[in-house]
Amino acid sequence: MLEILPEWMKDGIGDDLLFWLGYFTNGKHLAWYASVQYTLLAAVLGAAFALLFGLGGATLKNSRWLPLRLIGSGYTNMVRGVPDVLFFLFFPLAFEQLVELIRAQAVCTPETLADNAGRWPPCDAANWYLGTNEYLLLACVSLGIVYGAFTANVIHGAMRSVPRGQLEAARAFGMSTSQVLWRIHIRQMWVYALPGLSNCWMLLIKSTALLSLLQIADIVLWADRLGAPNYTPTAGLVHPDWRWQYYLVLLVFYILLTFVSEKVFAGLMRWAGRGTLVARS
Amino acid sequence: MKTLILAAAATLALAGTAQAQTVRLGTEGAYPPWNFLDDQGEVAGFEIELGNELCERAGFECTWVTNEWDTIIPNLQAGNFDAIMAGMSITDERKESIDFSENYFPPDPSMYVATAGTELDFDNLSGARIGVQGATIQAAHVEATFADDNTVLSFETADQALADLNAGNVDVILADGSYLQEVVSGSGGALEIVGPEVMIGGGVGIGLRKADDDLEEKFNAVIAEAKADGTIDALITKWFPEKGDGPFFTE
Repeated sequence: MLEILPEWMKDGIGDDLLFWLGYFTNGKHLAWYASVQYTLLAAVLGAAFALLFGLGGATLKNSRWLPLRLIGSGYTNMVRGVPDVLFFLFFPLAFEQLVELIRAQAVCTPETLADNAGRWPPCDAANWYLGTNEYLLLACVSLGIVYGAFTANVIHGAMRSVPRGQLEAARAFGMSTSQVLWRIHIRQMWVYALPGLSNCWMLLIKSTALLSLLQIADIVLWADRLGAPNYTPTAGLVHPDWRWQYYLVLLVFYILLTFVSEKVFAGLMRWAGRGTLVARS
Repeated sequence: MKTLILAAAATLALAGTAQAQTVRLGTEGAYPPWNFLDDQGEVAGFEIELGNELCERAGFECTWVTNEWDTIIPNLQAGNFDAIMAGMSITDERKESIDFSENYFPPDPSMYVATAGTELDFDNLSGARIGVQGATIQAAHVEATFADDNTVLSFETADQALADLNAGNVDVILADGSYLQEVVSGSGGALEIVGPEVMIGGGVGIGLRKADDDLEEKFNAVIAEAKADGTIDALITKWFPEKGDGPFFTE
């Protein structure tokens, strides 16, 4: 990595600094920096799923039909009450085994079933191999389901916060039900929903640190590997346990990420509230 | 939803048959010089070089998967990979849940290591804090031999156990000699091998699912070949210089 530097620059930098520059830009560290993509992807895709589940959940809760309303509030109450770590472990595993169970009906023969008795998957042919991409997608869906439950509540509350008078005025102008919903109700809902959604987003960003639980080589897993002590010269620089130093870098990274998010949400808030009273307050 | 899952399952089943020659090798990636992540962040070490060689001879398309040591057998059985090459000793206890290929590393003594100057009486050891990596043959040995009068501490990786030895949190650790020798010679006299050598385990082999007889046969064939022509001997000498030039497997 540092070979590209000209000699005079290397002399100027000095051997010690050059060594550390080289160390922090070796392939291992570059892999660590690159793994930020998983964290960011999980945050963005997770948020997209959360918004989807949130809108769905809020619609169900607002339904005029009791069973749908019960499903909606059942979803938000149950998922909100479960620790996100647990759900993160539960959902991908449960989904994988469900798929394997369904596949087993189609591909397993009595012989292969007997061969594998007492073990999972029921037979080898039914095995569904999950690589990083599959786990990442399942992780995003889990994040979506968990934070969708919070989002549903936020959106449900925001829909009710839109002043009745606005809706009545829209109807008085002769707008149809769907026009009222899309042009007035949902349009004004965002102003009330954004502060709550911003909270959900912050929580979701923090939950992306759980990716390593699914063996995804994300920033936390790499920090763990890089900080882990090494006493064998063949394997690279010999050093004691450096994990807290690496975790400190993660801490700063997450604080920066949430700081930037806050700024973005402040901008969004101004955009969503343009032309309304709420924006000025 | 159900048709969607079925459709997904069908495509996955098809994909499975098309890549029949792909073999996923599971390793820990934290046990130098057996297997570790090099400065490029890639898996490297004795087993990586040997595994790639064996795969080439057997005509497999091999990829490496890293997995924490303590869940490596369950994840083999769950199908996350097809074979374990992670410095895993062949023992009767493990044979109850998985199969092993012929060994590709001869039985190797386990050794005790302590900081220089530590006096330990291994015949009546008591009150000592003994560190081991969890779920290893050394952990089983120490539990069986010393657990009554001493404290046995188990660690996730061998390097973590060493870190705690250096920090003074444990008095002595027991680990594979093949792993410890480079560590001790690289410690500049801070660590030394103490007490008796312990012979446990039947050498190191490839861990395989019990149902995969075909894979086992193929691996055994190429291991026998690599043993006979001196390839494995050369790799052992390259990665474990302290072991000397052998011969280990050639006559």
